[in-house]
Amino acid sequence: MTQYAYFFGCIIPNRYPGIEYAVRWVCGSEGFDLDVADIKEFSCCPVPGIFYSSDKNTWLLLAARNLTLAQNERREILTVCNGCLTSLLKATEYLTDPKSLGKVNRVLSQIGRKYTGIPRKTEGRRRIMEPVKVRHFVDVMINDVGLESIAERTKKPLKNIRAAVHYGCHYLRPTENQTIDDPNDPVNIDKIIETCGATSVEYEDKLDCCGAGGGVRSHVVELANSLTEDKCRNIAEVGADCIVTGCPFCLLQFDNAQKSFTKEGIPAMHVSQFQALAMGIDPISLGFDTHHVSAHSFLRKLRGT
Amino acid sequence: MREAEKTFISGLREKLVEDKIIDESQLDPDFAKEIVKYGGKDVMTCLQCGNCTGVCPISLKIDYKTRSIIKFCQFGLKKFTLETRWVCATCYRCYEHCPADINPAEVMIALRHIAIREGVIPPFIKMAATNLVKYGQSVKPDPEIERVRKELELGDVPSRDQEYAKVVREINLLVRSTGYDRLIGIESEVKS
Repeated sequence: MTQYAYFFGCIIPNRYPGIEYAVRWVCGSEGFDLDVADIKEFSCCPVPGIFYSSDKNTWLLLAARNLTLAQNERREILTVCNGCLTSLLKATEYLTDPKSLGKVNRVLSQIGRKYTGIPRKTEGRRRIMEPVKVRHFVDVMINDVGLESIAERTKKPLKNIRAAVHYGCHYLRPTENQTIDDPNDPVNIDKIIETCGATSVEYEDKLDCCGAGGGVRSHVVELANSLTEDKCRNIAEVGADCIVTGCPFCLLQFDNAQKSFTKEGIPAMHVSQFQALAMGIDPISLGFDTHHVSAHSFLRKLRGT
Repeated sequence: MREAEKTFISGLREKLVEDKIIDESQLDPDFAKEIVKYGGKDVMTCLQCGNCTGVCPISLKIDYKTRSIIKFCQFGLKKFTLETRWVCATCYRCYEHCPADINPAEVMIALRHIAIREGVIPPFIKMAATNLVKYGQSVKPDPEIERVRKELELGDVPSRDQEYAKVVREINLLVRSTGYDRLIGIESEVKS
């Protein structure tokens, strides 16, 4: 069985604890019982929109530090965030270049760490090293857990729910790293939604950006919000009950931006929270009260009242 | 650079200078090289097809056109690109659609590197970096959320853990080793 290490990043523990609870619950003994460990020393991934944009050397060092932690435990990193995924994946790619690797290891030796990769097999005397694997939660659910298991564990099919899926850019692109899904026609989250018994609704410009990434939200919030407004208009048109995304930063954007242009708003949630609901968790544990857009309408529909 | 490209690009440039739209003193001839230095690809190979602008979510909204920025880079109009606000969402759509394989998103990232080194540092960079060297994470802990965490029995956020101080020390060391603290002006926050 594959061994994983949780990588929650910054936003989930500090803004959406409900997602952390849902992921732990789905992966834990009440869910799929995966072998996932906590590595307490993980830091920020670091954020691609800030550190990758301002100094690649610092970015690579901080990312390599996180990778060494998973490497020493011989575990695959299980990320729940698109930003962490793209940052760490890109770092493993940079570190396949011996020159960058040497440079990084010289600095890491000052804190007693070294990135080598994980030995996968031996050929004669030579050990073949592979980069530390970085996996997205959705990827693990589809490819390791499998849709059949998800269907088996769906105790409370969310039959009357219409969900609008938002993938988020860094889940799909850049394709030079690793593709979990078809970048032009992704299906994985839709499949999970359908397996949970709900309907995944099609809407216009489904693959558009939420507007938050790359520091746009932090820098020109009106611009980010206007992109979100377009998305939400398209989602409202098809009458969706909730937005389901695989990325906490997109979620944060949907959650915070909607109050700037609408009163009601469509509740946004992480795919793990949606899955946990279908598997029969009590919604009170999902921390919906920390979300800005109230999930009342959604939960009422779920109860069928 | 191929001869045809050279004629095309510099031909236009001379016209702009002649028409006094741009001033020759604003041009930086080594700008394309500088972009390559910070991890961008050679902008001189851009065909100016405009695919990047057509798929850019930001270009649809405001007067920020990916193609024009790449054109500025070809001319060497460093000053213009520094004044452009940081609005690329790094969605990498332009990269997927670029026939010349330039990866405009990475060019924007290289431009940000250059802007930072010219002293144009948006405040949110400092804020996130300060959070990182203080808490080991880019997002500050929120007391309200910590209360909810207690209710859910999730335990403390990492930065509240006593043993996490070691992690913060390591991060401070790494940040100092590349001179990042001096680069963006947060020396006072970094512990030695």
